[in-house]
Amino acid sequence: MNNEVEFLTIEVEAEMKLPYYPEGIRAGFPSPATDYEEEAIDLNRELIRHREATFYARVKGDSMIDAGIHPGDLLIVDRALEPKHGDIVVAFVGGEEDGFTIKELDLSERERGRVWLVPHNSAYERIQITPEQSSVIWGVVTYCIHSSLRHG
Amino acid sequence: MYALVDCDNCYVSCERVFNPRLEGKAVVVLSNNDGCVVARSPEAKALGVPEGLPFYQLAERFPGKEIHVLSSNYTLYGDMSARVMSLLRASAPDIFIYSIDEAFLTLPESEYVYFNPKTWGETLAAKVKRWTGMPVSIGVAPTKTLAKVASKFAKRYPGYRKCCVIDNDERRKKALSLFPIADVWGIGRRTANRLEAAGIRTALDFTRLSAESVRNAMTITGLRTWMELHGRDCITLDHLPRKQAICTSRSFPKMQTTREELAVPLSSFAARCAAKLRHEHSMAQYVTVFISTNPFRDDLAQSSINHTVALPAPASSDPEITAAALKALDACFREGFQWKRAAVIVSGTVPEDELQTSFLDIPVELKMKHTKLSAVADKVNKRLGDETLLLACAMRATDLETGKATTFRDSILHARRSPFYTTEIRDIIEVL
Repeated sequence: MNNEVEFLTIEVEAEMKLPYYPEGIRAGFPSPATDYEEEAIDLNRELIRHREATFYARVKGDSMIDAGIHPGDLLIVDRALEPKHGDIVVAFVGGEEDGFTIKELDLSERERGRVWLVPHNSAYERIQITPEQSSVIWGVVTYCIHSSLRHG
Repeated sequence: MYALVDCDNCYVSCERVFNPRLEGKAVVVLSNNDGCVVARSPEAKALGVPEGLPFYQLAERFPGKEIHVLSSNYTLYGDMSARVMSLLRASAPDIFIYSIDEAFLTLPESEYVYFNPKTWGETLAAKVKRWTGMPVSIGVAPTKTLAKVASKFAKRYPGYRKCCVIDNDERRKKALSLFPIADVWGIGRRTANRLEAAGIRTALDFTRLSAESVRNAMTITGLRTWMELHGRDCITLDHLPRKQAICTSRSFPKMQTTREELAVPLSSFAARCAAKLRHEHSMAQYVTVFISTNPFRDDLAQSSINHTVALPAPASSDPEITAAALKALDACFREGFQWKRAAVIVSGTVPEDELQTSFLDIPVELKMKHTKLSAVADKVNKRLGDETLLLACAMRATDLETGKATTFRDSILHARRSPFYTTEIRDIIEVL
């Protein structure tokens, strides 16, 4: 692989984190607030179970609107989870109009070799996915973040 | 025992995760400024696209072929690599990251009966593929050089299920008899030619030479490779290049002639090096500037020069590193050349906390100000994008209409770059 610059020196963060002192280290009495610095709710910690396998996606269509998934919503996608029957998944569907899609996974006919992607909107048809069209289940949607503000 | 984990066609594989329609197609990734081919999918290799091919020759040499061409997206590759390395570290804590797409892991000895390296490797490769989308090949062997050999077999033959283990003499000899000497880790192109001319074609042929003759012909480095191929572990991590220096280098879209023209990109490179130093909590003692002309332009005067400046005390702030880089530029700059490429290298790195104890004779107040300023710049740039806050010397001009500064980054060509799928919220994938 070409050593072109930037990542010549990449080093993933070590497991053990060292404390960082943006104010510099000073002698004397420390600020009483420093003890509480770590205590904040971190949504990364709450919503992300597998950091390395987590990716984000933006909903563009309305095919899942009856499941409460709206255009503009932010999805947290976890590729580490084994996709199960009934999961909401992001899939890549090959063929003529290829692209990423969000649907409910239907494995009830898996025995007969059929895997379905089911929309939650009566205006859409379910999609059968086949390995021949190089379609894949890309990841399992763990959270859908929807803004409830009515005005921007 | 060592495991070498190697990402298969790293850059192309990163692109395919977010653009699965590239699966099975010929794909190439270009260097910075869309100069030449730096990465190829197996399909592109099969078409005969050579590494390093200038982009403009691609259409001429492969007319009518469907080849997908992408600018490099190092932000994406770096993030995907970090994900892979993090999973590797969790599977074997003793890890040495050798490059963006390769890492050596230290495994328990083969006599340790509760550990089956073949199962471990297959499971790990499958996990990395499922979690990150990155296909990896794993070679396990008693030496690093043999682990490299094994990883090539794991990559080439699907039957290995992404993990090949060389753990006995029979397997070792069989593998080496099928392995071209030119592909052995540590054997350079010129050495390989010399060996092939002498009838030594495979790694096994090479191991049949006597230790004395290898030592005489190829020095201690060649002898180490010879011993490693015999299964004797002797390349320690000290022999491998370590992170002591940080380098930022680019070629320019247009050639530069004046000192002022060079000062803008060099200031930008210096700030980038400084940010990398701060990221890993270290400071540098030396700053080197390197500039060179275009070696492919025989019609122009050629030059390649560098100059190193020692800092009064270890530093990692933008102002200190940039000032040193510009001082180095002034010391070595010469008129009359068309400069094509430049680099800033910071070296002699020390951990930043050492500063507090060993350099008490420097103006501490000023140092603290620089450190605070840089911390603020890092925060702003993290939130609002790289080079939102920068030193004025890294600015080429200010757009009078928008009031926005144009910088060296704006002039880099990356017409075919994919979005920053994993690191920019506006670039995440869209689903219907």
